[in-house]
Amino acid sequence: MTEKPKIALYWCSSCGGCEESVVDLAEDLLTVAAAVDIVFWPVALDFKYKDVVALKDGEITATLINGAIRTDEQEHMAKILRKKSRLLFAHGSCAHLGGVVGLANFYEREDLLNRLYQEVPTINNPQAILPQPETIESGKNLQLPDFHDTVKALDQVVEVDYTIPGCPPTPELIKEAVMMVLEDRLPPRGSVLAEKKALCDTCPRRDSKPEPLRIKEFKRVYEAEWDPTKCFLAEGIICLGPATRGGCNARCINANMPCRGCFGPTDNVRDQGAKSSSFVASIIDVTDKEALEKIVDSIPDPGGLFYRYGLASSILKRKMTRDGS
Amino acid sequence: MAERIGIFVCECGPNIKEAMDLDEVVTFVQGLENVVLAKAFGLLCAVEGQALIAKDIKEHDLTRIVIAACSPKEHEKTFKQCLEKAGLNPFLLQIANIREQCAWVVEDKALATDKAKAIIRAAVRRVAHHEPLEVKEIECQPHALVVGAGIAGISAALTLAQKHRKVYLVEKLPCIGGKVARYEDVFPSLECASCILDPILDEVLHNEHIEILTLTEVQEVLGFYGNFLVKVNQKARFVDTGTCIGCGACLEACPVKVKNEYNEGLDERKAIYIPYAGALPNVAAIDKKHCLRWQQEACSACREACPFGSITYEDTDQVRQLRVGAIVLATGFDLFDPARAPQYGYGKIKDVYTSLEFERLVNSTGPTEGKIVLRNGQVPEKIALVHCVGSRSSKFHEHCSTVCCMYLLKFAHQVNSQLPGASMTGFYSDLCLPGKKAQGFFNKISQEGHMEWMHMKDPDSIEITQVDEKTLIRFTDVTGSPREVTADMVVLAPAMEGAKDAGAMAQIFDISQGGAEGFFAEENSQVAPVSTAMEGIFIAGCAQGPKDIQSSVAQGQAAAGRILSRLVPGEKLALEPVTAEVDADLCCGCKLCVGLCSYKAITCDNLKNNVAINKVLCRGCGVCAAACPSGAIKAHHFTDTEVSEEIKGLVRHG
Amino acid sequence: MVDAVTTSFEPKIIGFLCNWCSYEGADAAGRARKVYPANLRVVRVMCSGRVDPQFILEAFKEGADGVMILGCHPGDCHYKEGNLQTLKRYHVLKRVLSRFGIEEDRLRLDWISAGEGDKFVQVVSEMTERMRQLGPLCR
Repeated sequence: MTEKPKIALYWCSSCGGCEESVVDLAEDLLTVAAAVDIVFWPVALDFKYKDVVALKDGEITATLINGAIRTDEQEHMAKILRKKSRLLFAHGSCAHLGGVVGLANFYEREDLLNRLYQEVPTINNPQAILPQPETIESGKNLQLPDFHDTVKALDQVVEVDYTIPGCPPTPELIKEAVMMVLEDRLPPRGSVLAEKKALCDTCPRRDSKPEPLRIKEFKRVYEAEWDPTKCFLAEGIICLGPATRGGCNARCINANMPCRGCFGPTDNVRDQGAKSSSFVASIIDVTDKEALEKIVDSIPDPGGLFYRYGLASSILKRKMTRDGS
Repeated sequence: MAERIGIFVCECGPNIKEAMDLDEVVTFVQGLENVVLAKAFGLLCAVEGQALIAKDIKEHDLTRIVIAACSPKEHEKTFKQCLEKAGLNPFLLQIANIREQCAWVVEDKALATDKAKAIIRAAVRRVAHHEPLEVKEIECQPHALVVGAGIAGISAALTLAQKHRKVYLVEKLPCIGGKVARYEDVFPSLECASCILDPILDEVLHNEHIEILTLTEVQEVLGFYGNFLVKVNQKARFVDTGTCIGCGACLEACPVKVKNEYNEGLDERKAIYIPYAGALPNVAAIDKKHCLRWQQEACSACREACPFGSITYEDTDQVRQLRVGAIVLATGFDLFDPARAPQYGYGKIKDVYTSLEFERLVNSTGPTEGKIVLRNGQVPEKIALVHCVGSRSSKFHEHCSTVCCMYLLKFAHQVNSQLPGASMTGFYSDLCLPGKKAQGFFNKISQEGHMEWMHMKDPDSIEITQVDEKTLIRFTDVTGSPREVTADMVVLAPAMEGAKDAGAMAQIFDISQGGAEGFFAEENSQVAPVSTAMEGIFIAGCAQGPKDIQSSVAQGQAAAGRILSRLVPGEKLALEPVTAEVDADLCCGCKLCVGLCSYKAITCDNLKNNVAINKVLCRGCGVCAAACPSGAIKAHHFTDTEVSEEIKGLVRHG
Repeated sequence: MVDAVTTSFEPKIIGFLCNWCSYEGADAAGRARKVYPANLRVVRVMCSGRVDPQFILEAFKEGADGVMILGCHPGDCHYKEGNLQTLKRYHVLKRVLSRFGIEEDRLRLDWISAGEGDKFVQVVSEMTERMRQLGPLCR
């Protein structure tokens, strides 16, 4: 009797969107669920940690992990699931690149904790209590997973076989990934399971792009009602489509919003944020120094804009800390 | 299969050897990954050094070479040839500059040793990723197009024709010879212009390799160096050039009179005309704009008068496609219009003339058959010669037009010859007399006398007005005092500007104009004065900037020389392999690179939705590769991997 | 907040020099035997416009305390406007680097012509001294 392939899904430092996207498979979810044996999925099913530990090494055919790695527990779970799985998928931007969670890498751990537990207007914490890995409460030893200095992408902690990109990935991409496993037609190990080319290739507004494209002024999305047939860049709105892998069916573009880069860079690019800054600079049509400073200053947060999803897996990975601090 | 890297460290005599611990360097680099051989040698660029490298390549089966020595700017070529002779692709070489940028600039021996180690380590890491680039060749056309049949264009055409290249010489006017054909004498020799020019024009007209297309203009240029496709439109002449002998019977018969632009509007011509007596080819042409037939009136006066049946009203414009390998733009100059500066009274005061108008007055084929007379037919007694009209001006052009001082001296001579009783005043702020002959010319003309010099404070300070019957010239002299002089005739030397249609030409040929004066921008003002940023498109003569006849000839010949040396019949065009290339599998068609290329080497293929880089036009700067948001452009020999490895080698651990 | 820098810290500086102007200028300094700090390590590129921001980040990551980009003076670029692209990219990258906590002075863009061996020496010396002051870049 052929056993159904075992599948596991886990979430680390995430928002739950990737799980939502799985649910969004809708009717297809039933088809997939029928073809597999889900052995671990904390958000939906009641399997426990000990159930995972009990599995043999490599017994799980494929595990989809979403979310970035930020705590001891997440790192531990990633490692144990890697051991127990034949194939490990980085599911979603956070697992793939660190995601939005990764933007925390622009700050020090202390700054984050202080901000959250002492400085925000809505906190009431007169004793300035910060979360600790261990506390004694009523004689019991309570433990919290330790909170790391630096957010990591999944492949910075364990070997990853495939990536399903996106924030979140589209249900189609998730389904396709699972079907590839079930039908044994996976591409070479290490592949990102989406388009090879950047978004412009499949963007519905592609043909409206002028050539050459030169911008004298950057605009923000809130500034006007944008023509749904015109390329955002041509209008002066920074769209990261040229620097972002395609495969999302241009869903943001179709919602009349510019691409924010969630599918990460194409294969040849090491640092999506750096390439984004490069192409955005290159299309500026201003050469006078003062005017140049002005137009660059008009971009509110270039670091955050270009590294929105990919900071943790960029070349520098995080803000440089000072010696001794 | 792992690479087998050989490292040759040059002692460079004592230069490198004594500046660092070479033994330590060699020992260190010997231990680097993929290195199978590392040795020092006295002088690698010498014959023995090169022989050693060649020998070791063969004996040790080396696949990559690092040469740690002087700057690559010195001997990279030499060592590349050395590799080639030894059977190794010349691009599998990396030079580590440990002399100019290490031995010669670091005093401390230990520091120099450390730096040298890092430089060589970087070269070793980089060279492992070099590709064996091949020099590709493409077919090319050895023929040329010359636009403009003035002295510069003709010089280019004749030089090219000497080597049996086919030259299409395109000229928008019905005659060749440009401006020089309408001068009487030329400076400084004061030879008669047509004596010098006519034999040259005759040669051009009868040269079997030169096809002259008069009344022709360029409409479109496609392609690139070696393979241009040029669309030209030859306007109908309405006169059969095969049978017309220029007898002028048709001119007599024509009832229409219009201002004659060939005499600068000083007289009239007919709607069928020969530009000036002696114009070549000596064939009439019909000016469609003014001929009655094209004004819906019946008239065949010229056809009826013509004894040879040469009038062909049925002529139509002809569009032709010319295949050429290179193009020379020699479109000449036009003068600044002094009407733009009301202070000169040009157009208001009747005897204020431009220099070109004066040239025609003095020319025996001109409106007065060479007699210097006022509009009322009388002979002038006092002639003002005004320098820098629009040149060296804070209001118009900053530049000096180079030739005006000289030709005004020429005019002075012509006045003295024809009107010995006349007196002249020269209004100048500076005199431009450069080179071998100019000062001598000035001295000679000065000796002829009848010339008074007025030294102006600045060219813009002059004002010319009409008071009673006299023309009054007011100016501030160099001491700051206001002065006044009267004259019967004023000759202005307006600034030289690029031809009026230079802007349109620049668009068609995709070249830049340096500034507002209308001249075309040369590639480099010092070392590439006749080429442009567009490979294969050259400029010559006043189209490039104000200059005299001698310099225009030089540039025409220079442009031809450039073409002759690189486009050789039977030879293919060798392409520089260090260029950028687009990976069509990765290119998403964002087209952001297209506008970045200074050489227009990147084009869109809208059907395939990607871009392509033309290997002929690409100069290998790498700007597109750095900008490409999806890393789809590879800058050969400076790839991301190669540079990245070099960086790692330079700064990783010590 | 800055720790006292020990005299033994010697910064590592990567310089991207363009083949036609600044690399030639560096060679000119060499031919004139002008001594300057040994901290600079040069990467030769054909045009400063080749400098991808990824290279700069990589240099910082791999161990450079400072990075210089030296190109032709505006208007003199061998490739017409390559250095203009460099200038624009530099301005954008500068702001990105500040979020990474990399002090502004650690990335320097300057223009050196082929004959400016002296200026090259001056610029490199200034940069080295400034990096000594700033201390090592922590990774």
